[in-house]
Amino acid sequence: MLSYIIRRILMAIPLLLGITIVSFAIMKLAPGDPASLMMDPTISPADKERFMEKYGLNDPVHIQYFKWLGAMLQGDFGTSLIRKGVPVIEMIMNRMPNTILLMVVSTVLALLISIPFGIISATKPYSKLDYTVTVTSFLGVATPNFFLGLILIMVFAVQVNWFPTGGVATLNAPFSLWDRIHHLILPAFVLASADMAGLTRYTRSSMIEVIKQDYMRTARAKGFKQNKVIYKHGLRNGLIPVITIFGLMIPSFIGGAVIVEKIFTWPGIGLLFVDSAFQRDYPVLMGLTVISAVFVVIGNLIADILYAIFDPRIEY
Amino acid sequence: MKLRKASWLLISLTLILSIFLTACTGNSAKDPEKTPGDDGKKEEEASGPQQGGDLIIGSTGSPTVFNPLYSTDTASSNIEGFIFDSLVSSDTEFNPTLSMAEDIQASDDGLTFTAKLKKGIKWHDGEEFTADDVVFTFSVPKDPDYNGERGSAFEALETVTKIDDYTVEFKLNKKDASFYPVSLSYFILPEHILKDVPVADLGEHEFNTKKPIGTGPFKFVEWKDGEYVKVEAFDDYFQGRPYLDTLTYKIVPDMDAMIAQIQAGDIHFAAGVPGTDIETVKSFPGVKVESGLALSYTYLGYNQKNDLFKDKKVRQAITHAIDREAIVSSVMNGDGKVAHVPESPLSFAYNDDVTVFGYDVDKAKALLAEAGWEDTDGDGILDKDGKKFSFTVKTNQGNKVREDIVVVLQEQLKEVGIEAKPEIVEWSAFIEQISAPNWNYDALVLGWSLSTFPDQYDIFHTSQMEKGLNFVWYSNPEADKLMEEAKQILDQDEYKAAYADIYKILAEDQPYTFLYYPNVHRVMPANLEGYVFHAKDDFYEINKWWLKK
Repeated sequence: MLSYIIRRILMAIPLLLGITIVSFAIMKLAPGDPASLMMDPTISPADKERFMEKYGLNDPVHIQYFKWLGAMLQGDFGTSLIRKGVPVIEMIMNRMPNTILLMVVSTVLALLISIPFGIISATKPYSKLDYTVTVTSFLGVATPNFFLGLILIMVFAVQVNWFPTGGVATLNAPFSLWDRIHHLILPAFVLASADMAGLTRYTRSSMIEVIKQDYMRTARAKGFKQNKVIYKHGLRNGLIPVITIFGLMIPSFIGGAVIVEKIFTWPGIGLLFVDSAFQRDYPVLMGLTVISAVFVVIGNLIADILYAIFDPRIEY
Repeated sequence: MKLRKASWLLISLTLILSIFLTACTGNSAKDPEKTPGDDGKKEEEASGPQQGGDLIIGSTGSPTVFNPLYSTDTASSNIEGFIFDSLVSSDTEFNPTLSMAEDIQASDDGLTFTAKLKKGIKWHDGEEFTADDVVFTFSVPKDPDYNGERGSAFEALETVTKIDDYTVEFKLNKKDASFYPVSLSYFILPEHILKDVPVADLGEHEFNTKKPIGTGPFKFVEWKDGEYVKVEAFDDYFQGRPYLDTLTYKIVPDMDAMIAQIQAGDIHFAAGVPGTDIETVKSFPGVKVESGLALSYTYLGYNQKNDLFKDKKVRQAITHAIDREAIVSSVMNGDGKVAHVPESPLSFAYNDDVTVFGYDVDKAKALLAEAGWEDTDGDGILDKDGKKFSFTVKTNQGNKVREDIVVVLQEQLKEVGIEAKPEIVEWSAFIEQISAPNWNYDALVLGWSLSTFPDQYDIFHTSQMEKGLNFVWYSNPEADKLMEEAKQILDQDEYKAAYADIYKILAEDQPYTFLYYPNVHRVMPANLEGYVFHAKDDFYEINKWWLKK
């Protein structure tokens, strides 16, 4: 097991390197540069030129890349071009807790809602309940995040005022746990919604498969209660494909966070990503790319490990 | 059973419908207690300004650095305005007024300025403001190690010397009409904190982002990245403590979020709400909107490197073919004023005694024919020497009015046989395409935000084509000479007279079709008092704002 994990981590290194090359190339291919924000008669062309020179933006692209890579390998992600002198790592770390909070809560929410509903659907297929769950999850899959988010803000934040329109906490108010949770509910629900629907469907189909298996019948024949059969024998087997899917969903969580954070003014790395992209703040963009790539790699690794835990037949 | 099913369906339908109904009528159900500053205290008889209250200001831009010598964005300079103060500021008519200076005298040759400073002004950390601070601040951009982008504002400055603790002398190397109103209006930095910082490191010093200290009406409290910047009233402010207790400069991702948050009462004050949304915002409870002409103009610029636009008759003809009144009334709901010169009516130098090219399709056609453009092949598009009169009009993405205008231009120019294809480009890419050294566009719709001190040199002088902002490649030696001469004029009336001639030439040459002057709208709490409209400064005299309880 340990050697497998080490092997996986080693395999991730060329992958991450490849990701940085591709992202750097795409970023540089995009037209524009940070100096384009200085469209101002009071700033002279010479001053703009000095800005470009100072941050090495006039160097050839491959030189810029190797400079960046060299520094990054020594743990230096550089400083922001826009927020003069602020280390990229500091900017990302300021935002990271917010994003992790949002992702963890919505992941838990997605699992807590979708797995039970998937199982219930599977145990009573083609019932009224099953149809309701199915239709709802199709609606969930079909509704884009941003649309659902805007509708929820319009209805629950602006019109009936049950929830705040955005942000992580009420401004000018002392810290309160309820206030934080209150701000978290809508964005976490929106971020969870799309994957929730998918997970419900996967759980359902995988459980239906499992319920038909011989060992389930055997277990029932032994006189175990239905619930015990389903949750002890069935669930463990039924969840194996769900774990795979879940591992694959982690990138979509990060992508979804970009949209959800923008809509809900959630000051996480997703919002930082969007702002930095528009401002052409290259070091911040690269830092974020590396960190989200690492996240995805780790997420997949965790999924593989969970795999082994749920399915003792699998050995690495 | 059937009946039960039907009634179940009916009930759920009603429920769903009611959600949407609430969505439509919810406005009236808003709780009125969301108005800021209203903390439930009994109404007082007081008629004068009342202390207290927190104001949450919404902004779609994030600040970058709180150091006036290094910042280049609006959000940063807004917040700098809360924290810092300057020797000179400007009143609502853009006349320079004294702020931290008690008196400023110019020598007869206009090359020496002597500033007497007010005594007893305190920095936020309790130190006293003196001539050392002024000398320090103005020395930074003159330092060879200075690496900010503000150097050009101090080009004319030769030396700055301390005469005594409250007197500073500025020596210039050439006459510069903008030195007093522009250069001297830069915010002053504290010498006692920053004197030991090498100038090369000043731009990235933590003073700028973590603990700025100024002499302004508000003290810096904290900056939560991506969320807000908070400042609180400075008790020892030299013009008296501001009435508001705190200002929170809240960052929102876009205008849609801003409007939703204004409606929900999460944002109290917002500038720059587009005219197309302003009627909606006016209907929100507890909100008022103050509007006025913005100090800016929007234009259609022609790339005069392009053969199509080299002939000024062609440019005049296009202006004749554009119905600017219709653009203002239909695209902008009447929220603006047609422009004829590149200067705002708000400026002292404004002069509209120029040739006006009004909407006149026949004249446009005649002028185009004079320039040799005819529709020889009968396809509805003019041509000359086998080339069709067809070009693209670029504008930046995200400005709805401009995006609409390029489409309207396409329709209007079709009338005279010109094909104008709209193209909308993301901001940063747009700027790279249009500016030096690419100039990759035919025509563009863009706006200029004007300085309180009028100067067209940077935009229309021939010397600014290769690298500067004259990216339309307009060149007229006569205008060049007049713009150079104007820089030497210190008297306001003479300056105005000189610019009257410049505007005449610019209007005649039509390097741009000047489209309109937009309005600026500021949304604020209905109970905000003391606000005075200033076209350039959203937060003019914010130390005098107060909330009526």
